[in-house]
Amino acid sequence: MRISEIGMGRFLRISSGLVILGLVLEIVSLLWFHPLSFVLFTFLASSAIGLGILVYLVSLVFVAPPP
Amino acid sequence: MIAVLICQIVLSIVLASVFLIRPSLTHAVGWKVLAFIGLFLLPAMCIVGGMNTHIQRSEQTRFCISCHVMIPYGQSLYVEDPTHIPAQHFQNHRVPVGTACYSCHADYTIYGPLKDKLQGLKRIYTQYVSTPPDPAAIRIAGGFKNAQCLHCHLGARNFEENAVHAALLDSLKSEQTSCLTSGCHDTAHDIANLSHLKFWRPAQ
Repeated sequence: MRISEIGMGRFLRISSGLVILGLVLEIVSLLWFHPLSFVLFTFLASSAIGLGILVYLVSLVFVAPPP
Repeated sequence: MIAVLICQIVLSIVLASVFLIRPSLTHAVGWKVLAFIGLFLLPAMCIVGGMNTHIQRSEQTRFCISCHVMIPYGQSLYVEDPTHIPAQHFQNHRVPVGTACYSCHADYTIYGPLKDKLQGLKRIYTQYVSTPPDPAAIRIAGGFKNAQCLHCHLGARNFEENAVHAALLDSLKSEQTSCLTSGCHDTAHDIANLSHLKFWRPAQ
């Protein structure tokens, strides 16, 4: 299956889900005063948010219809 | 600062939730712009803000001693003996009390180059997955660098007017003579003998 065949809606759902997951983890890491909170933020929260952003940008490049 | 960042994160979650529930909204131009803000701009700002907050937080003394093996190191800051260098600096506010550890260990783990960052990850692994070391056995990889002392003391009048310091200045700068292990200021965190030492109790 080519990327362009996957609907924009599906891309947005995946992107939103990852961004929301990452942001919730970021809130947890900010409210949790523990050495592991930094690890939680760096490796899980940032990765999820970054991946969500990436999926969104990919959808813009490969899936979005031309204006 | 954290409250502002959390508000920004909540706003971002709300916007992202809209596109999770109704992705078809992005057919309209206005919603396209909102999607760009909610799925790119705000989350990217949240990563930057979060990283900044976490790095500032990890400079705090209470953050360092929140790690179990560092508790004796925190206690050693209250030793009632002026020959104990960290205690003397901490108790006399020669370093900011709130960021005392970071002041003298400014190249430690995430603050140092890549090698130190990897060392920090190794310490996390040792702490939570492997067997944590005995606090008294913890050593800084590569030894304590004079640069950590000199970034405050170099240029200070009472440091440079001291005859011994003046005679050894080049050697100290080039790390040939160590401030700590050359026998001049050799008592840092004496963790092994902590139970035999007297402690200073702040008035408040």
